[in-house]
Amino acid sequence: MGIISVENTDRLYWLGRYTERVYTTIKVFESRFDSMIDIDDLEYEKFCESQDIPNIYKSKEDFVARYCFSLEDENSIISNLMRAYDNAIVLREEIGSESLSYIQLAVYAMNQASLGRSPLIGLQHVTDNIAAFWGMTDDDIEESSIRNMIRVGKLVERIDLYSRLKVFPERIRKETRRLTNRIDKSTMRYDHKRMAHVNYLVQLDDLPYETLTDEIEKLVGDEL
Amino acid sequence: MTTYADIFSKKERVEDMEIYAGSGAVNEQLARYGVKFGIYKNNEFKEQLFPFDMIPRIIDKDEFTYLEKGLKQRVVALNCFINDIYGDKHIVRDGIIPEEFIYAGSGYLPQCDGIKPPKGIYAHIAGIDLVQAKDGDWYVLEDNLRIPSGASYPMIARMISRRSSPDLFTGKHVEDNRNYAAMLRRTMDHVNVGGHTVILTPGRYNAAYFEHSYLAEKTGAHLASGHELIVENDHLYFIDYSGRKERVGAVYRRISDEYLDPMTFRKDSVIGIPHIFDIYRKGNVALINAPGNGVADDKGIYYFVPKMVKYYLEEEPILQNAPTYLPYYKEDMKYVLENFDKLVLKDVAEAGGYGVVFGNKMTSEEKENFKTMLKNEPRRFIAQEVIDFLDIDIMEKHELLPRKADLRAFVLMGEEPMVWKSGLTRFSRNPDSFIVNSSQGGGFKDTWVLSQ
Repeated sequence: MGIISVENTDRLYWLGRYTERVYTTIKVFESRFDSMIDIDDLEYEKFCESQDIPNIYKSKEDFVARYCFSLEDENSIISNLMRAYDNAIVLREEIGSESLSYIQLAVYAMNQASLGRSPLIGLQHVTDNIAAFWGMTDDDIEESSIRNMIRVGKLVERIDLYSRLKVFPERIRKETRRLTNRIDKSTMRYDHKRMAHVNYLVQLDDLPYETLTDEIEKLVGDEL
Repeated sequence: MTTYADIFSKKERVEDMEIYAGSGAVNEQLARYGVKFGIYKNNEFKEQLFPFDMIPRIIDKDEFTYLEKGLKQRVVALNCFINDIYGDKHIVRDGIIPEEFIYAGSGYLPQCDGIKPPKGIYAHIAGIDLVQAKDGDWYVLEDNLRIPSGASYPMIARMISRRSSPDLFTGKHVEDNRNYAAMLRRTMDHVNVGGHTVILTPGRYNAAYFEHSYLAEKTGAHLASGHELIVENDHLYFIDYSGRKERVGAVYRRISDEYLDPMTFRKDSVIGIPHIFDIYRKGNVALINAPGNGVADDKGIYYFVPKMVKYYLEEEPILQNAPTYLPYYKEDMKYVLENFDKLVLKDVAEAGGYGVVFGNKMTSEEKENFKTMLKNEPRRFIAQEVIDFLDIDIMEKHELLPRKADLRAFVLMGEEPMVWKSGLTRFSRNPDSFIVNSSQGGGFKDTWVLSQ
């Protein structure tokens, strides 16, 4: 492995987390948006509750405008995308210009989406570019530990979001298996006991979503 | 002198360029790869795309051969000069350059006295700014020996242009300029004293951060910030994520001398590396470019570069300076005051297009004030004849428009001096301006050197 600083290790991990956060929240937003078109105007309230974010929105229109595209809303999709960008832009040497370009394109796509009247069409370009980014990191980055640091961030975020959204336990089990297989390959420091505990929790018949969220949040990083 | 009109048919010049520009492909690609520079406006950092014009500057083979020879000669002489100034100072003792031009300038660093950098190279990467006059003659306007930037832009522009408009290149015999990273790597490896090579960046909010990160990627060097590097036991180390210390043998630093080491230079620097200068002095790390080079690229010293060529190399200078006057000399002061309106005056301490004023653009009051300042501080300014630059066409809103442009040529000192067969052509976007700097709204072009 080439030399890589603690700071960049952290950035790779968070790049994985933020790209996943943008990707999954767009997917969830898509399904809620569909419901808000003509079924339930207040669907966004449930969404905020499930995401554990404050409901600061005045209407479904306000929710769509701010939650998707407002940089002043720290929970917005665009704010999370910019956090991904802020991490990626200082990782050109680690991830390469080709991979980085897809994050750049996702930012342009997001800005473009904010101008249109069909947010789902615009946001689809954002998720397309994030998917291309992940594909490119797998294909283009020679250093496996770098690839794995991004993937660990992505999987941690996915399990975190899935447990907040209380998705079917089997889906969470699948992502947990993937994380367990991946985390040692990343050479990142993490809490081994906590990883074992996460594996235990996901096997329980009555999956304790909140405990799982707490545990996965503390698996890697400052909490160690 | 070859222009694009000589090698492109009229149809290509207008119709194809228009299609090329109108397709949006180039801008799309530049945006995709984040070809940007940072700028501070109202204390806020903004990234903006560097405006690119797709019509290349074209230099034919013979013309470039002449430039190449002259550039090598000039940079070799400048390196001899810096070695001499921080060594035995023969050029001062022999009365070729008055000592006040050396020691009174802010570029001279007494801390560098007596230092011999690895392989005796001070200016590893030189950016020499040239302009071509309407009669075809080239003039050197400025030598940049500290941290000349800009090579990454034509590098990536070439890659993009070849993708966007392959037909433009077919049969034109253009030298490939995508070898800059390999040349830079050879230059860095040549002076590496053992260990990794890193590019030291002040960080993402530096105007040239794109270049730092792009060159790191393309050369395979490690991009590092000051806090990731540490001096211990007289050597420089990069601390990796596991706490392991990896020896560093060469640092291509993209931060200026005064911020390099808070123990030696500015104490308030938070982007430098404490004690790096001490181990550099001991020969335990190469710094690229070496500290102290400012003594040779001061605008006041520029006047003396042709004299350096004669003094150190015993050769006639191949490249000429723009006609320059030093108000420090009485006869030059008299000439400057008498011909004020036809001269451009430059503050020797400024860079980036700042501190440049044209005599004929000042009001009567401004002129009188400036003349008083000139008399009080004659060492602070140089005056130059205004060279009528050759205009180069740019494409703007489906029209070909003439604009002033310069050329930054890059000379790298490896085992042998190497001149990059390309360069950064910067142009003014304002039809009435000679100022081409990106910080002042200028754009850039690719520079084609023909191979036959």
